[in-house]
Amino acid sequence: MRFELSEDQQEIQRTARELLAERSSFTQVRAAGEARREDDALWAELRDLGWPGIAVDEAHGGSGLGVIELAAIAEELGRAVAPVPFLGTALAGLVVQHDASDGDRERWLPGLASGELRGAVTLPGDAVPVPGASDEGLVVVAGADGPQLHAPGSGVAVAVDAIDPTRGHGRVTVAGAAPRDGGPGGGLDRATIVVAAELVGVLQRALEATVDYVKDRKQFGVPVGSFQAVKHEAAQMLRDVEVAKVLVANAAWVADAGDQAKLSEAAALAKAAASAAGRRVSAQAIQLHGGIGFTWEADLHWLFKRAQIDAVLLGGAGHHRQRIARYAVPRAAAAV
Amino acid sequence: MDLTFTPEQTAFQEELRTWFAANRPTDPPDDEDAAYQWRRQWQKTLHGAGLAGVHWPKEYGGRGATLSETAIFFEELGRAGAPLPADVLGLLLAGPTLMVWGSQEQKDRLLPTILDAEESWCQGFSEPDAGSDFGAVKTRAVKDGDDWVVTGQKVWTSGAQYAKWCMLVARTGDPAEAGGPAKHKGLTYFVLDMESPGVEVRPLVQITGSPEFNELFLDEVRIPDSAVVGGVGNGWKVALTTLMNERAGLAFFLQVRLRQQLDALVDRAAGAGGTDGVIDDPVVADKIADLHLRTEALRLLAWKGLTAIERYGQPGPEGSLGKWLWSETNQQLVEVAADVFGSEALIDGEPWAYELLRARGNSIEGGTTEIQKNIVAERVLGLPRV
Repeated sequence: MRFELSEDQQEIQRTARELLAERSSFTQVRAAGEARREDDALWAELRDLGWPGIAVDEAHGGSGLGVIELAAIAEELGRAVAPVPFLGTALAGLVVQHDASDGDRERWLPGLASGELRGAVTLPGDAVPVPGASDEGLVVVAGADGPQLHAPGSGVAVAVDAIDPTRGHGRVTVAGAAPRDGGPGGGLDRATIVVAAELVGVLQRALEATVDYVKDRKQFGVPVGSFQAVKHEAAQMLRDVEVAKVLVANAAWVADAGDQAKLSEAAALAKAAASAAGRRVSAQAIQLHGGIGFTWEADLHWLFKRAQIDAVLLGGAGHHRQRIARYAVPRAAAAV
Repeated sequence: MDLTFTPEQTAFQEELRTWFAANRPTDPPDDEDAAYQWRRQWQKTLHGAGLAGVHWPKEYGGRGATLSETAIFFEELGRAGAPLPADVLGLLLAGPTLMVWGSQEQKDRLLPTILDAEESWCQGFSEPDAGSDFGAVKTRAVKDGDDWVVTGQKVWTSGAQYAKWCMLVARTGDPAEAGGPAKHKGLTYFVLDMESPGVEVRPLVQITGSPEFNELFLDEVRIPDSAVVGGVGNGWKVALTTLMNERAGLAFFLQVRLRQQLDALVDRAAGAGGTDGVIDDPVVADKIADLHLRTEALRLLAWKGLTAIERYGQPGPEGSLGKWLWSETNQQLVEVAADVFGSEALIDGEPWAYELLRARGNSIEGGTTEIQKNIVAERVLGLPRV
């Protein structure tokens, strides 16, 4: 048992964090968000570094690393609220690689791995604004019978201005049944884990910003963080983040090295925890900042808005808890 | 990340499973005292197999197990449905504290009888006016020749009726310091012989109706100077060693027990035992899924905490978070059980009725949830104390 990233994985995460601290500061996020435009220069830089293809097979132009490494990068991009179309593209890569046919892999993976082709993944019948979904990109609808791939120009995605203005979103209205499990080859499960990982990064940043603020902000002559009402809320935020973190780390490990029969359950646990935390922690961050937290001027709302979308993308907490309940039954019957 | 056991750890796990399967005690007797003797006998059986103090160093008669092996031991103990040994306080708290702070004489005299269950321990920390505020301890110890004369009152002393020894914290400094800014300075840690004249144990009945804990009255009890642990005035530090040990190992046992309770609940909710598959009710399913999620998170937090200790020598935030999350989850579980099992959880003497009542203590014993939140906020997040 070693419940932490390996040296190499930590190095990947550290490098990503340092780069994004420089290239995706809140000043840069604000510039992108207020113009409602992704940061093309940053995206070009990340493409040069091979980030979009980190978990794509080497045979298809990627680096061939696992969900653990991809999740580490997604977490950093979430922490930085990076205004780039990374998430949808990486998710599409996972679903195509694990759940699609050989022909589709040949056709789509090289473009997704290089970032030349943008991607997006959603569930059928889901009205969620989907990050990365546009008519210029590949839109993957992961349904009960496996993924449907909608090629660029199919018209399946309609651009919408989602509450998170730091990246592009599209509405994809394709009817159909949602998959019971996470894709025939575990691609949708992997994608679900990576959304949860991005969300954890967003929440970690919101927690840190809040802790810094309540240490600094004084009322009644003392830091507001010395009041128990504030302390206990901050502690609850940490607990929510830690619970999501361990379940995401576990799911990423199961995806790469664990028992594949447990992948769907692990992914559902990770996303249910991250989605629930996503709403609570991002909301409490605003609350504990008081009035300033509710202003456009403070940067918290970038985190809050990204968290709202990620919390429902590929299923919200309720959707995944309904899945978890079904996994719990045979597991309990076997144990009792 | 590697969430698998090494071959050695797997072998240890297998060894334990085989041993527990063959040696697990039958169901406990109903009578309180008989049940205690039954657990004492269980500890002797464990000791006979070298398993009473798996985490104790070999020089003190333990197995010298690593932290991971200790965790595996407690997981398997829970999984086997076996009880904790009778003297958990001695094995987990008093023993490890004496190993750090005790004199050679104290170690030689006191450690062997913890392992073999000949003598058991209780913990005399809390007082009526010193609960979460440990520094408010008022029980006084005054030097008289080679002895200390101790007078005061302790409370919540589990197992005091069976204990030979008590980990006692008393004020040897200025009584006016109790609860004041220098409140930690004048405290001293003693080993109290419970058979001394002036010691009186009165049972304190819980809301379950059973007297798991006691009040402890000390009236001019004489304790020899040789029974001071870690030096006069050093009691705060010694007591912290005891408290730091409180949750180690137990977290793994409790986490596995929670999983078993949840499995039983889910199985019933799914239709076994004539509950008509209430899990098909989306509200019940949602609650059960959340319990499942929290229980899995507790398992992972426990192992993550262990990695932090093994790699960096200090626990991460997982310990305090785990206690808080465990108590809340167990309380939620018994409430969902009350819904799923219906009247069975509301009839006196039924196991789920006992659990429904007993769980209320979880968020108070071993540090209230409010205190755990303060610890998390102050020590992990670094928020200011006032």
